[in-house]
Amino acid sequence: MGLASAVLLAWAGVPLVQQHQLGAFAAIVALATAAELLLVRYPLRPEYPDRGVWLSVSTPVVIAIALTYGWQFGVWLDAIISLIAGLVMTQLKGTRPRWAFINTAQSILSAAAAGYTAALLHPPYLSMLSLRSGGALVAGLAIYLLVNTVLVSITISIAESTRLGWVLKQTISSVPRDVALMVPISFLVALMLQLQGVVGLLGVLVPYLALRQAFVIWARQQALYHQTIRSLGFLVQRAHPYTGGHLQRVAQWARRVAERLGLPPERCELVYEAALLHDLGKTVLDERILNKPARLTPEEWEHVKKHPQLGAEILSDTPFLSQIVPWIALHHERPDGKGYPFGLNSDQIPLEARLIAVVDAFDAMIGGEAPNQKRLHRRPLSIEEAIAELERGAGTQFDAQVVDVFKQVVHEWQRQREQHTSKASK
Amino acid sequence: MHNIIWSIVVAIGSLMALAYYAFVVVPARLHRLHCEGVRAFARLIELRSGGRYGQAEPLRTLALAVAQRLGLPTREQRLLELAVYLRDIGMVAIPYHTLNKSTPLTEAERALLARHPEISASIVEQIPGLRQVAPLVHLHHVVYQEQPNAPLSAHLLSALEDWLRLAREHSSDLATSILRQGVGTRYHPQVVAAILEEVHQQGLYGRDLARSAALWL
Repeated sequence: MGLASAVLLAWAGVPLVQQHQLGAFAAIVALATAAELLLVRYPLRPEYPDRGVWLSVSTPVVIAIALTYGWQFGVWLDAIISLIAGLVMTQLKGTRPRWAFINTAQSILSAAAAGYTAALLHPPYLSMLSLRSGGALVAGLAIYLLVNTVLVSITISIAESTRLGWVLKQTISSVPRDVALMVPISFLVALMLQLQGVVGLLGVLVPYLALRQAFVIWARQQALYHQTIRSLGFLVQRAHPYTGGHLQRVAQWARRVAERLGLPPERCELVYEAALLHDLGKTVLDERILNKPARLTPEEWEHVKKHPQLGAEILSDTPFLSQIVPWIALHHERPDGKGYPFGLNSDQIPLEARLIAVVDAFDAMIGGEAPNQKRLHRRPLSIEEAIAELERGAGTQFDAQVVDVFKQVVHEWQRQREQHTSKASK
Repeated sequence: MHNIIWSIVVAIGSLMALAYYAFVVVPARLHRLHCEGVRAFARLIELRSGGRYGQAEPLRTLALAVAQRLGLPTREQRLLELAVYLRDIGMVAIPYHTLNKSTPLTEAERALLARHPEISASIVEQIPGLRQVAPLVHLHHVVYQEQPNAPLSAHLLSALEDWLRLAREHSSDLATSILRQGVGTRYHPQVVAAILEEVHQQGLYGRDLARSAALWL
C-alpha cells in the first residue's frame, strides 16, 4: 500500500510543479490543515481510542479541489493534510506514529481513485454550475469514501484479527450518510473557489468547521455522560456488600458475544452497559439473604427474585437507558418458560436478555460472582465444566444460539491467552 | 475587497454561534441529562430504605427555589441539584437491616448512619464527571457552629432536609420552630430566613404536610 501510494504521489507531482501553482496550493494546504487540526477526528471505532483509524474531515475540500484544479492537486493536498495532522495527533494523543503513515497511504489511494473518476466525468477548470459537475462531485465523494472505508476495514481486521466481513458490515453502512453530508459542503467549496478564489474558502470553511465542531462537542459530552452513569452504576454495585467484581468481566464477555452475533455497534455498546448494570436491583435487597451460604427459605427466595424488576424500576426514569430496561428486567427468564419474574417463552425474551443470562451464569459458575466468599452449596467449576453445563442447558435454561456463539468466544479467548503466556515464557 | 469582508463577517459570526452553543446550550442540556441519570440512584436508595432516605423530588424543587432566593449563581444551583440526587448514595453500603429497622437505632447504628455523607462523597469522588459535586455531598448535613464557613448551598441542604423530614413526619409547625431554635447553632441564619420565606410563599406552611401531595410529588 505504501509503495503504491508513493508512486502515485510522484506521478501526480510532476504536472503540479509544471503548472507553477505552488503559491495557491500552499495557501489551500495551510487552510485545510488548520481546519483538520482544529477538529477532533471522527473515530471509526470509538471503543478503541488508541487505534488511530479515522475518516478525515477534510474529504469534501479535497474532492472540491480535485474537481477544480485537477486530481493531482487533490492527492497532494490530502497526503500533506493527513501526514501533518496524523503526526500532530501522534504527539498529542500518544498513538503510534505508524498509524499516521497508514492513514496517509489510505488517503492518497482514496483521493487518487476519487479524483481520477471525477476528472473523467468533469475536466478541471470548467464551470461548476452544471449537472455534469454535480454528478462528478457525488461520484468522487462516493468513491473516496468507499475506497477509504474498504482500506480502513482491511486495516482494522488485520490489527484486531477480526473477520473482514463483519468489520465491513459495520463501516460501510455509514458511507451513504457521509456522502449526503459532504456533498453540499464540497459543492460550496468548489463554487467559492471558482467565484472568489482562495479567500472565498474562508467564508465556507469557518462556518462548516463551526458546525462540525458543535457536533463534536456534543458527541464528546454525551460520551462523557454515558461514562458517568455507567461508572456510577458500577461503583454503587461495588459498594454494596454483596456484588463482587464480576460485573466488568460479564460486560466484556457480553459485548464480544453481541459483536459475534452481528449486532450493530451501538447495540453492542448498550449490551455492554446493560451487562454492567444488570444486577443493580440487588443493591436494593437485603445483603444478609444474598450472602447466605445455606439454602434460602421460600420467602427469602421471593425476596431475591424481585431484583430484575427492581433494577428495571431504578433505571426506568432515565431516557437514554430506556432500551436496556427490558433486558435487565428479563435477564432471569428462560427459553423454556421456567424463569422469573414472568415465565416468558423464548420468543418473548429479547436476544440481549438471553445473552446476558448466559454470560452471567457462566461467570457465576466459574466462581467469579463472589470470589471473596465461600459459598457452601456451590463449588466453582472449571471453564470446560461450565461450558458443558451451558450446553446441557441449551434450549431449556439457556438460548441455544447464544450458547453456541459464546462457546466460540471463550475458545478464542483461551487461544489468545495461551499465545500470550507462551510468548511471555519465551 | 468586498469578498474578503464578507468572508470575515461570516467567519466571525459562525464562531460566535459556536461559542454560544459550546458554553451555554451544551452545558444546560448536559446538566439536564446528568440529572435524569443520577435521579435513578436516588430512586435506588429510596427503594432500599423503604422510602426513608434518598427522597429527591420535593427537596429538589424547594432547594432550587431557595437557592434562587439566596441569589446563588447558576453553577452553584446546578451543583446543588446534582447533590440532592447524590447525597444519600452512600446508603448503599449501610446494612439493609439498619436502614429498614422499625425499632429505635442503637448507638453504633446511629454512628454508622451518620457516616453516610462521607461514604456518598467517596463514591461520587471516584467519577470524573461528578467529582465537583463531592464536597457538597460530604457537607450536606453540615452543622453551622462547627463549620460556619462551609458553602451556603451546603447549609441550605442541611437545613432544608431537616425541615422536610420533620414536616413530613410531624408537622410543618414543629419543623419551622425547630429550624428557628437552631438558628446560629445548628443552622445558618440567612438560609433559615430564606427557607421560611419560601415555604410561606408556596403555602406549605401551616398545612398538614404529612398528607400534602406537594411534599411527596
